[in-house]
Amino acid sequence: MLLIKANRDEILRPLQSVSGIVEKRHTLPILSNVLMERTTDGLTLLATDIEIQIRTRTTAGESAGDTALTVGARKLQDILRSLPDSADVSLVMEDKKLAVRAGKSRFSLQTLPAADYPRMSASEGDGISLDITQKQFKRLLSLVQYAMAQQDIRYYLNGLLVVASGNELRVVATDGHRLATAVMPLAEPVATRTDVILPRKTVLELSRLLADSDDALNIRLTNNQVLFNFGHVELVSKIIDGKFPDFERVIPANHPKLISIPSNELLPSLQRAAILTNEKFRGVRLVLSAGSLKLISTNTEQEEAQEELEVDYQGEALDIGFNITYLLDVLTHVSGDTVDLRLNDSNSSALISFAGNEGFKYVVMPMRI
Amino acid sequence: MPSIQRLPDLLISQIAAGEVVERPASVLKELLENSLDAGSQSLDLQLEQGGVRRLRLADDGCGISQDELPLALARHATSKIASLDDLENVSTMGFRGEALAAIASVARLSITSRARGSSHAWKIDALDGTTEPAALSQGTVVDMSDLYFATPARRKFLKSEATEWGHCDDVFRRIALAHPEVAMQASHNGRLAHRLPSGDLARRVSELMGEEFMAAARPLEVTAGGLRLWGYAALPAYSRAGRDAQYFYVNRRFVRDKLIQHAVREAYSDILHGARHPAFVLFLELDPGAVDVNVHPAKTEVRFRDARAVHQFVFHAITRTLAPSIEAGNLAAAAHPYTPQTDAAAPNFNLQQQQPLHWQNHAEASRLSPSLDWQNSGSNAGGAHTVAQPLAAYQRLAQLGTTAFDAAASATAADEAPLGFALAQLHGIYILSQNRHGLVLVDMHAAHERILYERLKNVLAGEPQTQQLLVPVLINASSKELATLTEQQTTLAQIGFDAAAAGPQQIVLRSVPALLQRADSANLLRALLAELADFPASKVIETRRNELLATLACHGAVRANRTLSIPEMNALLRDMEATERADQCNHGRPTWVQLSVADLDKLFMRGK
Repeated sequence: MLLIKANRDEILRPLQSVSGIVEKRHTLPILSNVLMERTTDGLTLLATDIEIQIRTRTTAGESAGDTALTVGARKLQDILRSLPDSADVSLVMEDKKLAVRAGKSRFSLQTLPAADYPRMSASEGDGISLDITQKQFKRLLSLVQYAMAQQDIRYYLNGLLVVASGNELRVVATDGHRLATAVMPLAEPVATRTDVILPRKTVLELSRLLADSDDALNIRLTNNQVLFNFGHVELVSKIIDGKFPDFERVIPANHPKLISIPSNELLPSLQRAAILTNEKFRGVRLVLSAGSLKLISTNTEQEEAQEELEVDYQGEALDIGFNITYLLDVLTHVSGDTVDLRLNDSNSSALISFAGNEGFKYVVMPMRI
Repeated sequence: MPSIQRLPDLLISQIAAGEVVERPASVLKELLENSLDAGSQSLDLQLEQGGVRRLRLADDGCGISQDELPLALARHATSKIASLDDLENVSTMGFRGEALAAIASVARLSITSRARGSSHAWKIDALDGTTEPAALSQGTVVDMSDLYFATPARRKFLKSEATEWGHCDDVFRRIALAHPEVAMQASHNGRLAHRLPSGDLARRVSELMGEEFMAAARPLEVTAGGLRLWGYAALPAYSRAGRDAQYFYVNRRFVRDKLIQHAVREAYSDILHGARHPAFVLFLELDPGAVDVNVHPAKTEVRFRDARAVHQFVFHAITRTLAPSIEAGNLAAAAHPYTPQTDAAAPNFNLQQQQPLHWQNHAEASRLSPSLDWQNSGSNAGGAHTVAQPLAAYQRLAQLGTTAFDAAASATAADEAPLGFALAQLHGIYILSQNRHGLVLVDMHAAHERILYERLKNVLAGEPQTQQLLVPVLINASSKELATLTEQQTTLAQIGFDAAAAGPQQIVLRSVPALLQRADSANLLRALLAELADFPASKVIETRRNELLATLACHGAVRANRTLSIPEMNALLRDMEATERADQCNHGRPTWVQLSVADLDKLFMRGK
């Protein structure tokens, strides 16, 4: 029975948008498969890792009759990708196997019954619905996602906090050493403040799938799920059930020392200083005195780098250490002409913000070197 | 309602016997210690059926006079201490005064003894307490038979004859190791098991631990602050699958103390593979007042007044003994005896022809004569890495000229470069090097890994770098953990943990060591507290840090299949000689082996 016959790219593109979440190793074999469902509306592709589920639809190509099957996502994708661009591909269900044909190439893949494929249950309650553009959300994620923790035992840090309240949508990420937060306005105010923590994988997958376009994105936040609808894609993700640290408390309000530096001067200086940091600590010293900011790093071979920047600063001197990775992260992911660095003493956090990028704040704890 | 009454003496002794007389080996221990406390110079032990049927110990000590014989068998009667002061400064093995009484309550026991100066010996039978004259030239003979005849229930707990004999043998070895000056002899079922003449420690250790142990053992003798540690600690090359070759004595008393074991394990942790156990015979001597041995009737546990000092002392003493880099003495222990006739002849010949000019112009020299290769490469390494010794050695050699040169000078040269000079690389994995004993094979990755690791450790010793936490970590803790935290707050701060009690059941952690910032800090702190609660100093952080450094070193080290030039290989060999613990890689595997000329001759059946 013919599942689809179309140009290679017409099949590959939707497959690629769902297959990103398919884990390579699974104890449940069917989870390495992708569900393909043929109805009169077209071909639906669905993949899940139990936590996230992505579904997409294509109406391209010709087909015959309703059918459904699951097949190894990675293998099918690899086959399609290595076929020539212009190839016309047909997927045919033959006696519990999926035949892939293109030109003189023939592949026969094992399938598993579609009925066994796990699907995420529908969400509880209505929740709130937000309508924004893909570009807006993609940018918002990119401002903070690098600060998420990775495999921390505080599982709630391995994700990104989304807060919808009043007229704004806020995202927060922290790994316990530094914190990044950004805000965007909403066209329509939300009725009730809603906080959800998106799993790390969902965030990474979203920023991969979202386009840099003004196309619509609908987000629905409910008690136990988040739904994203954009283009032909529907992404459903479980949320992390936990209490995210109170981000408002760690953002310092009254740091007296303010240094403004053009970011196109600070970033290259930091990148040069980073060469001679210890590869495990990555420590860099910021030595601040009237009119000057020195970046000093040393490594295990006792080599030293020193960078001096002229700054408009007349306050008292300060010597403070940071993990240079945390400083580089924010400067490479966030754009802005001028970096505002607010400091207090060598044991207090530093607050970084960018002129013209209101709502973005980055807090990083010092390191004792 | 049951009434309260005093227990009969015999029953009290039998209860005590439950603790003191666990098995024949414990009887043996008590009797041997009594004999040693009596100043014996020679002991003769005879066992039958693992010591259950009969256990007879004859010594040549001071003996017991006729009127004290019944007292010897009485409970809480002893000649070893008389007051609390004596107890606090006890220097004899025993002191509790309950062993003989306990043994007499569960076995047939007779003591024949002739006190010094008395005209003849007396014998007492524990069963009826009667004394009668007996024949004995000197000392005391304690004869125990039918252990547990009075308490058959305990008899069922005894193991097979072979097992019980094994335990007796253990006890005998432990005591024999600590008293090399006493001649000792033991036989089981009429067969001689040990005959140990009186002698020095080295001889006794090699008799009881074997030649192999002695070959790998390094002598140790460290004194500091009223503590003295001496004995033998085996290099990791001689490690065991079990703890059977571990003998530690505190004031000549065998102990199996947690604190001591911990200190020793820490000292070996960096060089021994995790699943192996070190072998050692070590004696710690300190003021008897500074150690409490009255913790347990078997006295294998002790308490130190200054546990921290003892722990640090033992740890550092052993570490220092094991750390030195490859040197002649160390090498000699690993290599087979040096025979000048066979292996020194060839290099001698070459060196005799060597003129000062040749080594300066090594490129030419190597073209002239391939056999000069190793000398040539040696000077190369010296030049490239400014290691003074090899060059100095060559200059000295050159000055010696052709006439004064002999085997002794060749030994000096070899001492300067114990691992010799590289000949070639084998399959991109091993370095072949020639030294005065023969051939040295070096696993280049393992060796380089250790060199980098030691270098990293040296750089990072000192003030820790700490990462402060933006979101403090809250850790649920037991009250024991909280108590340790309060006591050890400064220790924790020194290694980079800023932690404080946040409530009756919680700890708040505000900063972590920068190097371990990616680790699970809650578990790390818990492990740290658990160790600090039991031991005065924790190496948890150091261990974790070293694991990280080991990974770094492993990634940084040269990989297999990397082709090294001769100068590079020589540089590696010189680095190994200068590096502590270079004999083992970070995982405890050996980094090099010596194949002596004699070994190689054997392969080809030369000189047979």
